[in-house]
Amino acid sequence: MKKNAITIIIAAILLVIFVLLLFTFQVRQSEVVVVSRFLEPKRTINEPGLYLKWPWPIDSINRFDQRVQTFEDKFSETYLADNSIMLASVYVGWRISDAKAFFPKFPGGSAVDAQRQLETMLRSAKLESMGRHNLADFVNSDPSKLKFDEIEKEIQDSVQAQLAKNNYGITIEFLGIKRIGLPESVTQSVFDRMKAERTKYITDAQSQGEAQAAKIKSAAERKAADLVADATADATRIQGEGEAEAAKMLGVFQQNPQLAVFNLQLEALKNSMNQKSTLIFDERWSPFSIFQNLPANPTGK
Amino acid sequence: MDRSIQKNGLVNLAVALVIFLAAFGVTVFAGSLGGQAAAVFLGLGVLVTLVSWFQMRLEENERLEKLELDELARSRGASLFEAKDAGSFPARNAREQFEKYFVPGFTVLLLLLQAGGAWLLWYWSGKNPATLKADNAMQGLSLFGIFALLLFLFGRFSVTMARLEDNRLLRPGASFLLASAYVCGFTALGIAGAEARYPQADFWVARGLCVLLALLAVENVLTLVLEIYRPRLKGKVVRPLYESRIAGLLAQPESLFTTAAQTLDYQFGFKVSETWFFQACKRSVPVLLLVQFAALLLSTTMVFVNAGEEAVLEHFGRPVAVFGAGGHWKLPWPADRVYRFRTEQIQSFAVGYTPDAESEAANIVLWTVPHAKEQNFLVGNRSQSPAGTAGTNDAAGAKPVGLITVSIPVQFQITNITDWVYRNTTPEDFLESLATREVVHYFAGSDLNDVLSHGRLEAASALRDRIQTAANARDLGVKIIFVGLQDIHPPTGSDVAKTYENVVGAEEKRLATILDAEAAAIRTNALADSQSYTVTNVADANRVRLVTSAYARAAMFTNQIPAFEAAPSVYRQRLYLQNFAEATRNARKYILLVTNTQDVLIFDLEDKIREDLLNLSITNSP
Repeated sequence: MKKNAITIIIAAILLVIFVLLLFTFQVRQSEVVVVSRFLEPKRTINEPGLYLKWPWPIDSINRFDQRVQTFEDKFSETYLADNSIMLASVYVGWRISDAKAFFPKFPGGSAVDAQRQLETMLRSAKLESMGRHNLADFVNSDPSKLKFDEIEKEIQDSVQAQLAKNNYGITIEFLGIKRIGLPESVTQSVFDRMKAERTKYITDAQSQGEAQAAKIKSAAERKAADLVADATADATRIQGEGEAEAAKMLGVFQQNPQLAVFNLQLEALKNSMNQKSTLIFDERWSPFSIFQNLPANPTGK
Repeated sequence: MDRSIQKNGLVNLAVALVIFLAAFGVTVFAGSLGGQAAAVFLGLGVLVTLVSWFQMRLEENERLEKLELDELARSRGASLFEAKDAGSFPARNAREQFEKYFVPGFTVLLLLLQAGGAWLLWYWSGKNPATLKADNAMQGLSLFGIFALLLFLFGRFSVTMARLEDNRLLRPGASFLLASAYVCGFTALGIAGAEARYPQADFWVARGLCVLLALLAVENVLTLVLEIYRPRLKGKVVRPLYESRIAGLLAQPESLFTTAAQTLDYQFGFKVSETWFFQACKRSVPVLLLVQFAALLLSTTMVFVNAGEEAVLEHFGRPVAVFGAGGHWKLPWPADRVYRFRTEQIQSFAVGYTPDAESEAANIVLWTVPHAKEQNFLVGNRSQSPAGTAGTNDAAGAKPVGLITVSIPVQFQITNITDWVYRNTTPEDFLESLATREVVHYFAGSDLNDVLSHGRLEAASALRDRIQTAANARDLGVKIIFVGLQDIHPPTGSDVAKTYENVVGAEEKRLATILDAEAAAIRTNALADSQSYTVTNVADANRVRLVTSAYARAAMFTNQIPAFEAAPSVYRQRLYLQNFAEATRNARKYILLVTNTQDVLIFDLEDKIREDLLNLSITNSP
């Protein structure tokens, strides 16, 4: 009997739990719930708490996250107003503002489907808005000329207008440009230009170095030439002084010009002879004239 | 056979069929993997219950046939009905044919369904590990719980009836019903686990049920093999081939107690199973289960938050408190639930690069070698922006932009857990998007050369402020602790970074060239200085020599005059011969002693090369 009572208690507890689970449901702070009766949406609950309902399949519960959901669209290419081409992607924060309107528009109230639709609208609005701006509105060394905020607002307003027009039950909370870039071919051109710019600096540095080096060398050589020229002039002057002083002695040689000339001839003779000189004399030439009067060789012819 | 047993079999069939259909519907509704396995198990139960009920009908027909024949035999005499041919007992023949052909065939079919079901469910659950629909999970849980209760009540009743009446044909269906009750119970527990923040619970319940199905298939194979070698004894009542012992054990776990008790009795030599302790244990099993359930529920009333964590307490979905580190009380699940977050822990993400293990391990980071999956950022380029035409394509098509690669780690802490949890579905992703947007915006408004030189110092601080401002504007509830420009350089691709390095090299080379020139100038000037000094000195020496020589010659000439005047010809001849000998000492001299001859003398005055010079061997020398 006691065993049966315990079994009944356990069964009763379990039954109560299961019945409670069938007749009640919770709504979290982060959720919004649409209660449908026989699949027709009847009421929307935004406030967290415990609520009653008829069991399935009379009442069915559809829960949606009412927090801001974020996604990033594709990094896509577009023409700008100045005929430049740019790639951009934007991130969007959206939330379900009217679950009752949102629920029937997407199969099962799927946020993924909603996001897909939203992405389509977003891409269209993005291309349209970016097409009205120049590259300088996106990239400019003068930050005051950037128009990021303006472009973002244009895209957000455009998408929000579409959503409101067709009552999607969705609100765009924020939108921002997350990435910007250039197509591969243009990127390569920018790389080439950056390299060319650097090459210009390299050539400039090298040329400046070489030019300055040449100037330094030239100045040094000029200074060296000045120095040597001055020294040569001094030397010439000194030699002249020596010549002048030596010339004072010429009067002495005038006492016997014949002897003086003979001395000069002898000196010239000494100075003109060297090892490679070849002299051919005959016996009449002094001092070889001495051979003329010598006795002949008795065994000779 | 008692007709009530047959009715019981029919009721079992109806219950199994209805609950199978309902469970299948609920499984699709809730998307539970465990529910799928339970539905397969229930479907097999329907087949077993149907076949066992049909066999009951055949045996009942045979019993009625036998009663009719016995009655006729008593009223008309035995001789008329002594014929033993098969046509005389159609019901018995039908039952025998059924047991001989249909039952083994059905058992093989059951085996195939069990094995195929186990394999398909295993494969499917592996491919789709998380199919539970959060919206419908609680309804699924409660309905599977109710199925479990219903199956338990009907199954328990049938098992008891089968035991009391000793009916072998009621037993298979009853065992399957009772086992299905436990299977449904486990399925409900799996869904509850998935709801209670253990999302894999449903998956593992499904995997467990796959294993159970596989075990049933193995058991069926063994039963079929043993059936081939079973001795056929006339009149012996055999166990139905399709009855599962495993399902029976699952349905009546208390039979384990009986078996254990018998084993203990045998081992100890007295009735251990009749002792107070053993009986108390046996009686207390339901109470212990109830206590365990209560303990499990009570354990959900306590929560311990780790150091560095904060937890949000939700009371029926409404956030009512934030718990810091330590122990806290709360109402049991599912009234109160707690969600924990690491608030004090410094979390981080990267902008502009995706770290990889290989680059993280590298000790040297070079611009020219990719050190992570890097992203290029567009940056303004003042040198390419002629005044007034910035942003438009000039004739050459050059864009006033440059590209740089930056690696920016961002570290943050959660400061307001409520904002962090309840404002955005994926706040980490949102913060990362916000930070990336600020980085893109910042560099798009900067000049390439500024950023690569002095601008980098102020960039980190400016970016931290901008990201914090943006996060505050969106009530993200975070504090940006650190934004680092750990790497900023020209793109690695196409050797751009290398060209930037070459500029530094060229500057060094320029300085080196200038220094070389200065050194050469110093040398040139020094040499010129020395040369001029030498020239002057040589000139001076020449002057002195010239003057001295002039004085000496004059003195010598003055002294020669008296000698010359004394013997002019002799003195001249003496001077001549003295100087001739001295002057021609080294000259080659040919003296012709014959002057009055007509001979023609030819002198070969060509210089002879020395023989030893001709024998020189030429070798390659460095």
